[in-house]
Amino acid sequence: MKREELIRKWLDNELNPKELSLFKELDDYTDLIRISEGVQKFKPTSFHVTTELENLKNTIALKKQKRNWLKPVYAIAASVVVLFGIYYSFLLQETTVTTLASQKQEITLPDNSNVSLNSLSSLSFDEKNWDKQREVELQGEAFFKVEKGATFNVKTETGLVTVVGTQFIVKDRAELFEVVCYEGAVRVNHNGQSILLKQGDSYIKMEGTTASQTKTTQLSPSWITNTSTFKSLPYSTVIAEFERQYDIQIIADHIDSKQLFTGSFIHNDIEIALKSITLPLNLEYTRTNQTITLKGE
Amino acid sequence: MSKNLHKNICEEIVYSNFFKKYAEDLHSFLYYKFGDHLNPKDKVQEAFIKVWENCKNITPEKAKNYLFTVGNNLMLNEVKHQKVVLKFQKEKPKSHTNENPEFLMEENEYSQKLQKAISSLTEAQRVAFLLNRIEGKKHKEIAQLLDISTKAVEKRIYGALKKLKEQIHEL
Repeated sequence: MKREELIRKWLDNELNPKELSLFKELDDYTDLIRISEGVQKFKPTSFHVTTELENLKNTIALKKQKRNWLKPVYAIAASVVVLFGIYYSFLLQETTVTTLASQKQEITLPDNSNVSLNSLSSLSFDEKNWDKQREVELQGEAFFKVEKGATFNVKTETGLVTVVGTQFIVKDRAELFEVVCYEGAVRVNHNGQSILLKQGDSYIKMEGTTASQTKTTQLSPSWITNTSTFKSLPYSTVIAEFERQYDIQIIADHIDSKQLFTGSFIHNDIEIALKSITLPLNLEYTRTNQTITLKGE
Repeated sequence: MSKNLHKNICEEIVYSNFFKKYAEDLHSFLYYKFGDHLNPKDKVQEAFIKVWENCKNITPEKAKNYLFTVGNNLMLNEVKHQKVVLKFQKEKPKSHTNENPEFLMEENEYSQKLQKAISSLTEAQRVAFLLNRIEGKKHKEIAQLLDISTKAVEKRIYGALKKLKEQIHEL
């Protein structure tokens, strides 16, 4: 048998007694045995399977525990988020009243102050904190009868109106911002200015013009009695108000919308109302279900 | 054939048996391949934890390969292919024998030579040879562990022995 074959069999512990004696006769037998015995000293420090398994189980248990411990934390965190969500969406939600076109609404605030909301307007206020702060947010136009008491704020996108106890309107439309004081006193903060309006004063700021103050002798805005009144206002303002009151579209491409108009129209009869805004300017109108077209003569 | 009884190795008994069967082999494999300085014991723990975490996706048949691959990769992540120098237990004078100091010195000298020679082996040779000689594993067992043929194992071990003999003679 070949030398190499013998060594291979020896390495795999496959030598039979006869082969073993042959192997022992190999000239490098002692060298091979010495190497084989010599490498035994290179065995790693003992590896205890049971100890290592114990360690492993502890580590895994610890990992599990960590996860289990975190679970309730996640649960609590989730509930907190949900509670905050509920708090913000229900408890902190402001009361909001919105009117559609050709609709008006009376609102009584928690302190019995009264608000009349004109068409296409919206008013919101925080009922829960009303005792601490009397504040409403307004889009559009409203008439306020404010009970005496702490400061009453009306916030609009354009300006802030502050009063103590009075009657006034705030009108914040796309084309103009108007405040009219009917009783008491009103402070208007607008464009960095602070103006005090006394009974009968009105403050008006139209798009593209400077703010001006005028006087009124009325005791309440005309729309409260279902009439819209205009005093030297651009015709476009009249058209916009008409559209809001009757929920209708007015096409007025061929007339001068900048000419000034003084007059009024009523809210409960569209034919009469149309006549009252067209006759003074010598306009003609054609009316379909949802649109009115105005033409000059 | 209990092999296919379990879909995966998540069950504690299966997992424990799996550990008992392969933990020491993995340790020897990592030790002989990469040496001692990268804590092969820790890597064994880490590798088995990885197996546990992914136990749902590991079938019993694939578990061994997965384990050895993970262990190997854990080492490779750290190793900068340093030369592997294995430690040996130094001969110490034993009180109950009459070994003379000269013999002890010779023995330690031989071990040092062997140490150098082992370092000069290729990774593959070293792992196969030491699993065979120190762990007493048959060629077939080594072939199964390393996923290579028995022939390849024989070749590696025989090659290692030859190289060691030459190196020691040269030194």
